[in-house]
Amino acid sequence: MKKKTGIVSLILLAIFGMLQFFRPEKLSNSPAGDLAGIPPAVNDILRNACYDCHSSQTNLRWYDQLTPANYLVYSHIRDGRKVLNFSKWDSMATPAQNSALYYALNKIMEGEMPLPAYTMVHSGAKLKPADIEILKKYTFSRTPRGKTDTVQINMANKEYVDFIQGKLAPVTKVAPAPNGIDYIPDYRNWKVMSTTDRFDNGTLRIIFANDIAVKSIEQHQTKNWPDGAVFAKTAWKQQVNVDGSVSAGAFWQVEFMIKDARKYAETAGWGWARWRGDKLKPYGENALFATECVSCHQPMKDNDFVFTKPLNLLIPTLQNK
Amino acid sequence: MKNLSIGVIMLTTMVLFSSCQSQPGLGLNDAASLHSRDELPENPLLLHAITSGVQPKDSTMYTLYGNDAAFIYAGSHGDSSYPDGAVLYEVTWQQQADEQWAGAHVPKKIVYVERLEYAADGQATYTLYRGTPLKKAAAANPALRAGVIAGQRMAVSP
Ligand code: HEC
Ligand code: HEC
Repeated sequence: MKKKTGIVSLILLAIFGMLQFFRPEKLSNSPAGDLAGIPPAVNDILRNACYDCHSSQTNLRWYDQLTPANYLVYSHIRDGRKVLNFSKWDSMATPAQNSALYYALNKIMEGEMPLPAYTMVHSGAKLKPADIEILKKYTFSRTPRGKTDTVQINMANKEYVDFIQGKLAPVTKVAPAPNGIDYIPDYRNWKVMSTTDRFDNGTLRIIFANDIAVKSIEQHQTKNWPDGAVFAKTAWKQQVNVDGSVSAGAFWQVEFMIKDARKYAETAGWGWARWRGDKLKPYGENALFATECVSCHQPMKDNDFVFTKPLNLLIPTLQNK
Repeated sequence: MKNLSIGVIMLTTMVLFSSCQSQPGLGLNDAASLHSRDELPENPLLLHAITSGVQPKDSTMYTLYGNDAAFIYAGSHGDSSYPDGAVLYEVTWQQQADEQWAGAHVPKKIVYVERLEYAADGQATYTLYRGTPLKKAAAANPALRAGVIAGQRMAVSP
């Protein structure tokens, strides 16, 4: 009996040894400096918990290099670098840096990052609540409510005048999104589901729900939205007035989520589409843009990928007065 | 053998239970909605959204709603001479941090509701509702508030 297990172990060890001749394609590795203009405490947090997969410098431990684990580790690093690479920090414009930091913060707070499979092995990369607080404070401090300059105010004024004179409406058919989804022009007639004050990127948002979605809200069926439910989220630049109040400035974008569990099975059951600017330019180079939408909405998967908690719209005593 | 079958039964029950147990989802933002005892003549949250804004010094946010007449007028006029029958509602909420997204504020609770109704002579009647439940209340400066509300521009959509 004892002898038998000994032999089995030997065979397994031999297989494991032979496996080591098979290795994934080498990863490029070059030193990644600290992020410019960021306090050391924040740099330390990102370097310690994220750089292995989100920078050009990967610090692999010996146990990461053993086949077959290395295949998984390398693929995480390749995918991680593709979606977010802190080594490109210096070439990013400030708004892009801010949205990367907010995105990072939110992925950490949702427990999605660093990847749990990674912290299981690299326990040192687990972030403590105090670390998250430091990152949050710093990230918030980067986006105070600024002042709106006269150039922006003039542009918004002109856009508004064009709008009320009917000159802003598209004269030809709006081009569809790269995934083939057509523009939905009548969302302004839908009911308001909620509003958000996005101080992370200086926009005000109204989220509209179509009739099918409103019916679901009235029936409190908001965990699994029915086919045909559509949300439209509009964003306007926050215009900070001289008295400090904030109103809706220039139109920034409108984006849609269209529920059809079968048709859009590959993108979490929703059709995603976004049009930018008052010329309504379709967003995205190709149909893959929707993976960006799904990735960020992923933490809401137990809520059918929807972030917004709708206002309760059915108050019987106030209805049909 | 006996242990094994007990194990299998336990495992099956666990799998069954975990598949039945579903996450509750976020539900509605009831606290920020109207309630049955609120003394409003209609439900403003069902009207058209004209615009929305924030008052950072009070940590409040508001949405300006309008009935059909007000909505159509606001979308094609830059002045505040709303027609007979136009009704505007400005609903103001206390803000709270968005639990789902660090970087946003969302409505927490309605602090007050202001209503403007236009008559044929172009005059608007201003009414303020505040408290829990929302009830008619005296306003400090109705004329000033009426001017501010009517002076708001419709948020642009192409
Ligand atoms: C073990 C590798 C690994 C580590 C460590 C890691 N990530 Fe990731 N990260 C990934 C991979 C792989 C993806 C893309 C696939 C996915 O979304 O699961 C990703 C995706 C992301 C995204 C989403 C980008 C997008 O567009 O999809 C963000 C934001 C992010 N990571 C932030 C962080 C932060 C912040 C840290 C450190 C606290 C971190 N990650 C640590 C591997 C890692
Ligand atoms: C970086 C994160 C992020 C990305 C990327 C993203 N969203 Fe969202 N989305 C949000 C957040 C957060 C909300 C909640 C409302 C708010 O705060 O603006 C939201 C809300 C929405 C809503 C309203 C319904 C809901 O879920 O609350 C729609 C519609 C929407 N997004 C469409 C899109 C589309 C289309 C794309 C891709 C083109 C996209 N989103 C990409 C973060 C993101």
